Amino acid sequence: MNKRIINHPILDTLADNKEVSFSFNGKNHNAVEGDTIASALLANGICTLRYHEESGNPRGVYCNIGHCFECRVKVGNSDIVRACLTPVEEGMKIETLTQYPTPLKGGS
Amino acid sequence: MIDVIVIGGGPAGLSAANTCARNGLQVLVLDEFMKPGGRLLGQLHEEPDGEWWNGIKEASVLASNADNLGVDVKLGVSVHNLQSDKGNWIVFTNKGKFRSTNLLLATGAAETPLPLPGWTLPGVMSIGAAQVMTNVHRVKVGEKGVIVGMNILSFAIMRELRLAGIQVDQVLLPPRNELSTESSNPLKIIDDLSEAAHLAPGFIMKWGAKLMRVKALRKIGLSFYPSNGFKIWDVPIQLKQAVVEILGDKKVEGVKVVKLNTKGDPIPGAEKIVEADFVCIAGGLYPLVELAAISGCPFHYIPELGGHIPLHNERMETPVDGLYVSGNITGIESAKIAMAQGVVAGLSISQKVTKRIKLEEMTKAIEHVHDVRAKSIIQFHPDIQKGRKKIEKLWNHYYQEKKQTKIPSIENSI
Amino acid sequence: MRENQTVVCRCEEVTLEELLKTIQTYKCSSRELKLRTRAGMGVCGGRTCRASLDHLISQKEGINPTDSIPLKYQPPIRPITFKNLGDI
Repeated sequence: MNKRIINHPILDTLADNKEVSFSFNGKNHNAVEGDTIASALLANGICTLRYHEESGNPRGVYCNIGHCFECRVKVGNSDIVRACLTPVEEGMKIETLTQYPTPLKGGS
Repeated sequence: MIDVIVIGGGPAGLSAANTCARNGLQVLVLDEFMKPGGRLLGQLHEEPDGEWWNGIKEASVLASNADNLGVDVKLGVSVHNLQSDKGNWIVFTNKGKFRSTNLLLATGAAETPLPLPGWTLPGVMSIGAAQVMTNVHRVKVGEKGVIVGMNILSFAIMRELRLAGIQVDQVLLPPRNELSTESSNPLKIIDDLSEAAHLAPGFIMKWGAKLMRVKALRKIGLSFYPSNGFKIWDVPIQLKQAVVEILGDKKVEGVKVVKLNTKGDPIPGAEKIVEADFVCIAGGLYPLVELAAISGCPFHYIPELGGHIPLHNERMETPVDGLYVSGNITGIESAKIAMAQGVVAGLSISQKVTKRIKLEEMTKAIEHVHDVRAKSIIQFHPDIQKGRKKIEKLWNHYYQEKKQTKIPSIENSI
Repeated sequence: MRENQTVVCRCEEVTLEELLKTIQTYKCSSRELKLRTRAGMGVCGGRTCRASLDHLISQKEGINPTDSIPLKYQPPIRPITFKNLGDI
């Protein structure tokens, strides 16, 4: 996790928070307590959180404060949450939202 | 019954909540984020006296005061609707309904986008997003990137990224197209920057001499502006270069930059590619007024304050009974002003509930807002005072016209 | 030209070209532009693109911003689940 900003000239040194393990698309990763899903993934070098439901274009965090809804991910079996507002939890299973099948398009 | 629900746990909301609680009110604060403080979190800049303004510390002071005062702060709560019902407010959220007699909207601001080709790629984010990721979550947004858009916020956050060891390669203009506003006009930016230099000599001491040069350049346009820009905190500021496209297959890999002539028009063929693994979009801020609009509050368009503003007076009252506003929803200004406005809103609400607030306390709190504004080192709009006067005049006009109808006023109730 | 393919509404992936064509054909207001193209109708409720839509209309149609908000805000201002809908 070399993307962490541990030492900072003005802010406090990053606290040694408890590790949390979670999975993203079936692969296991570690984060620290206090991370959002978005920061946990970025700390692991992952910036693509979802694929646009129609075009399939990749998307990541845009506003990071809950306004833009670009960072939606699936947690557990059904919950769709904003990765930027949702704290990551031990054992959380996170998945990418993918392109919807659109069988009706182009058929008429 | 809760006396007041405060929507937004930032500098304005928490200051108001604490003021209300000090006056004995039952207060509930709702906020979407998992930490209290709103956009105070992440702010980090050097004051003229060399002290650092650390928004995280400011937020933790406000939050611990709230805690000590018995303010109920509910985090991770998203408000999606509100209704007025027989003198009560009903606030609808993802965690159920809440009722109160008074409501304070302190929802802050949202970022204005600068749409350009490729801006939906992962790795492209708003400048505010980069600030939160860097200073709050302490994760690097990338190794080397560029900022598109030049304003006081982009320069402030550029420095924050550099403090955290993130390389900002350069700050560039957005492209000029049907979507572009004055943010792509280098001459307007020079105006704004030199205005900022004039208003806040301390804050930009380190750029001072350069900005003075820029001010001199204003008269002669871009003719003698160095084609490699001038540097602020070691980062080149490119007033003669615009990003025309963000490049990348699955995520950001770089930007395509075009050189501009002295009139600010692109020079054909003068394109280059700058490698980057992140891009920040800095289009400025606008007041986030959606809940005020739903409440039925009248609005006015005041560009100096950032756009459409709910009508309000200096006591942070609106014409809607039991509805108050404070912070960036009333106009884009710094967190210090939001805090000062929050105290005023808190006193107004407390007066309505307890009828025990002294007029001089209110007057002092309003004067404090003026003082903070006069001393403000971060000015988002050079004509902020003009904007504030406009809304005051509009309020007086509204009040005159509707004198017969009931308008909430501290003067009436004292 | 790549520029016209710029996505303006990120939620619904509405491009600048589409918006310009619609404005040209229908000489429409921000609201009509939204209904015709779905720009601003996505999951974010137009929070990201509303400023761009308003700007496009005022540029193309020469309408200066007035006190009334061009794109009306309507509840819910956040997407809600059926469970929350039951609370209303």
